[in-house]
Amino acid sequence: MCHQTVSLAARHLEANGISTVIMGCAKDIVEHCGVPRFLFSDFPLGNSAGRPFDVESQARTLELALEILKSAPGARTTMQSPLRWSADASWKCDYLDLTKLSPEKIAERRKEFDEVKTIARAKRETS
Amino acid sequence: MTTSAPESKTVFAAEHDVPIPYMQRTRDYYLTLGYSPYRWAHFVEVPFTPLGTPLSRARVALITTAAPFQPKVGDQGPGAAYNAAAKFYQVYSVSTESVPDLRISHVGYDRLHTSAADINTYLPLARMKDAVAAGRIGALGPRLHGAPTNRSHRVTTETDCPEILRRCREDGVDAAVLVPS
Repeated sequence: MCHQTVSLAARHLEANGISTVIMGCAKDIVEHCGVPRFLFSDFPLGNSAGRPFDVESQARTLELALEILKSAPGARTTMQSPLRWSADASWKCDYLDLTKLSPEKIAERRKEFDEVKTIARAKRETS
Repeated sequence: MTTSAPESKTVFAAEHDVPIPYMQRTRDYYLTLGYSPYRWAHFVEVPFTPLGTPLSRARVALITTAAPFQPKVGDQGPGAAYNAAAKFYQVYSVSTESVPDLRISHVGYDRLHTSAADINTYLPLARMKDAVAAGRIGALGPRLHGAPTNRSHRVTTETDCPEILRRCREDGVDAAVLVPS
């Protein structure tokens, strides 16, 4: 949801004269929405701005985003950061992987999700 | 004696070594849990505004989906379970003078492979300050702005986006860096 939110915000700013660049990890969501400029890091969600405790990675990630901000030739410019999360890409198979869930676990996840929705709704209504 | 050129061997990357198809994974996951599919925002036309000021003179905003730490709503620390009580539903702004205490326990980051222990992985404020000090960016906006992660496109588009624009204009920024958590 975060990636969709910033994509919609970037579009709105851009349509009103403010140039934007998104730094993100969910390529499909951002490109499906359609945004002006996007630096894609192929990292686990939560690391849009670089690797943890790695200033060089963070500085390089920002620098690539700034370069796109400055020089993208037109809308839907995506650049993929050359940085790798790890040599082994098997981490990409794990996110919301249903194959590892038993029917009992799925029922448990549904119950948890219903509870979370209830909390979020209450929070939203009091905001 | 005959010689032959050494064979070059092309090695492809693993089939799964591609950007994660989050929309498909999410759709499959929630269908299995018994929910109807979510309709993701999708447009054909995309606006584009060339940067009208050299970056070294531009004032740049930072926009985040991270949430201000709220001491009374439970664990929001590194690796905390998804915490819906830590969500926020209105645009907020905080000074960029120092790095604020913003967390991401309210969103679905990859808790298996990362832990949100370093704020600089989702909030590049310190690195942006470095870029200003190096003369790469002219200045930062005086405030960074927080965008609520609402499932409702309508609320995001009709309420939150205009509010973010209003605040960016107040701050007189030329450009914005947007960073999802």
